[in-house]
Amino acid sequence: MRKLRRVGELAMAILRELADESAYQRHLAAHGRSHSAEEWRRFSDRHLARTYARPRCC
Amino acid sequence: MKLLAHLLWAAVAAAAAFCLGAIAFNRGEHINSLWLVLAAACTYATGYRFYSKFMAARVAMLDDKRATPAERLRDGHDFEPTNRWIVFGHHFAAIAGPGPLVGPVLAAQFGYLPGTLWIIIGATIGGAVQDFIILFASMRRDGKSLGQIAREEVGKVAGFISLITVLLIMIVMLAVIALVVVNALRGSPWGTFTIAATMPIAVFMGIYLRFWRPGKVLESTGIGVLLLVASILGGRAVAASALLAPVFTLSAMALAFAIIIYGFLASTLPVWLLLAPRGYLSTFVKLGVIGLLAAGILLVRPELELPAFTRFVDGTGPIFAGKIFPFCFITIACGAVSGFHALIASGTTPKLIARESHARSIGYGSMVLESFVALMAMIAACVLQPGVYFAVNSPAGTVGATPAAAVATISSWGFPVSEANMANLARDVGEQTLFYRTGGAPSLALGMAHIFARGGGGQSVIGFWYHFAIMFEALFILTILDAGTRVGRFMLEDLLHLSPSGGHGGGMLAVIATSALVVAAWGYFLVQGVLDPLGGINSLWPLFGISNQLLAAIALSVGTTIVLKMHGARYMWITCAPLVWLVTVTFTAGWQKILSPVPAIGFLAQAARLQAAAAGNPLDAATRALIFNARLDAAVCAIFMILVAAILVDSIRVWIGIFRGANPAPLCETPFVATRLRAEEV
Repeated sequence: MRKLRRVGELAMAILRELADESAYQRHLAAHGRSHSAEEWRRFSDRHLARTYARPRCC
Repeated sequence: MKLLAHLLWAAVAAAAAFCLGAIAFNRGEHINSLWLVLAAACTYATGYRFYSKFMAARVAMLDDKRATPAERLRDGHDFEPTNRWIVFGHHFAAIAGPGPLVGPVLAAQFGYLPGTLWIIIGATIGGAVQDFIILFASMRRDGKSLGQIAREEVGKVAGFISLITVLLIMIVMLAVIALVVVNALRGSPWGTFTIAATMPIAVFMGIYLRFWRPGKVLESTGIGVLLLVASILGGRAVAASALLAPVFTLSAMALAFAIIIYGFLASTLPVWLLLAPRGYLSTFVKLGVIGLLAAGILLVRPELELPAFTRFVDGTGPIFAGKIFPFCFITIACGAVSGFHALIASGTTPKLIARESHARSIGYGSMVLESFVALMAMIAACVLQPGVYFAVNSPAGTVGATPAAAVATISSWGFPVSEANMANLARDVGEQTLFYRTGGAPSLALGMAHIFARGGGGQSVIGFWYHFAIMFEALFILTILDAGTRVGRFMLEDLLHLSPSGGHGGGMLAVIATSALVVAAWGYFLVQGVLDPLGGINSLWPLFGISNQLLAAIALSVGTTIVLKMHGARYMWITCAPLVWLVTVTFTAGWQKILSPVPAIGFLAQAARLQAAAAGNPLDAATRALIFNARLDAAVCAIFMILVAAILVDSIRVWIGIFRGANPAPLCETPFVATRLRAEEV
């Protein structure tokens, strides 16, 4: 049961990483800031600008 | 215990050999798809356990005591030590594009066997090796890109050529994947409505995420997925409506221009509004569908209807012309060996790896998983009746311009199919016709719908699943298209020095001008594909395959240079063997595409035939355009070959220098720094 829960947690962590939610949490932690709409927009603009400057695979 | 492990792995290796033998020597009987799944799973497991372990320990000499760039350069943004399986998920989502889905479907025209063997063997000893070695190389060089590594390890010429090659390949790639979407949606109000609906859904998600629920990406994506399902259900009503159906029934040319306009808008609009929400939606739908397809195949265990080999191994295939060698090996690029993966392996991924040893599971492991996706696409194509498969995938220019002519031609090949059979199938999936749907996407969708419907719901839900699969493929492809156009714009801005600050978007005029240039470049090839009497795929997909494999040749020659500098000639064969194979395949294919006297294969022969057909009379504008396009394709192919030949010559020059001891051959790795990460932080 514990193993199953760990697999579930890992799957959720992968989803959060793919959704950039974990990256946002790291951003908040790195800069010692708390969540706000303005902070999310600041993070999102910077993060997406970098993400969409890299080629995607075919 | 050790003996037990040895016995277990011996059994897995024996099972791999037995299953590969079973599918290779089976003739005349239908084979169950489970044989392919088992052959692949056992081969991948053996390759991962032994070959990747050997490379990690002996060749790359991965060292967990060494701090990775993620630790040394940690900044909370790009560089961040991350859990191995999270990076694995990230890397897999980035490398799994539409290529491994479409390529195998097209290559199935040779039968299931050639493509299947190439997918399994190519990935195990070629593609996964390339991905792992480049990931390792980038990780030891502060996460540098392939172009930067090429410049440092091989020379300035190689670095510059790599950048130019990437831009050219992207243009061809964007055109060919756009053509796949055009051919899937042509004359399909249900499909067109569903895909059109993804755009307002994405904009809604973008606004939701920006202003209403900032940061709630999973929540907004969940809502987006529900709206997508609603749009598929709504599409059926649109297709049945006398008022709305004509609005969403578009010709190939109208769709091509709609996609060109979309590409331009996506490149110029703010990322958060359209690109990013579509990207999230596409990523989750992609992973969900891949999982669903794997479960469907295991549950249904369908039999393959296509034979091991078809008569088209002789090079007369209706989907694309050319013999198994070299064309099977360039048609399936992603899924076996893909040069584009080298860009991902030297992009985000090396900046997230916490321990050096993780590069093995992420680089090698992700590639074999993608290869598994390609195998599932091959199975989905091969579960169709061969007559249906060829009726869907063959262009009118090859099988005849009317359904009656098409079924007569296809039946004469020994693959019986009737007009009534095709009409029933089209009705079941809610389409007006399924003839001449070249590009691979519709036949893949049919195969997937067949598997999903057998898994539950039967024929009554096959229309939903067909359009679900079409929506998935188109959403996926358009996400690559819009992001690719934007990246192409940045590359052009850099090349034209329009971004002096090093950033991007040096003014609205520059943004509009560079976006228009990139869109015009791939749009030109897209329109060319639409006008091509042979369906466009015949010309453009091989060009794309050649360019992608040439990029792999660049990556493998950079990898060989690094291995040579590290160990001398001892382990050079690891990257050199796939390199020699790829160079042989791509240069043979390139040579044939330019110079073959068979007009269906050679671009120049095509142009000459069109010229000769005029018999001295003045050429009309359409014929002049076709002749120009054939010559342009020949020129593009030649440019690719010259660029890669230049890199190869440059690399061989470096290798000879190392062998003779004339070159000092310094490795440009960052110096060793001991890791301070604790086990619980990894």
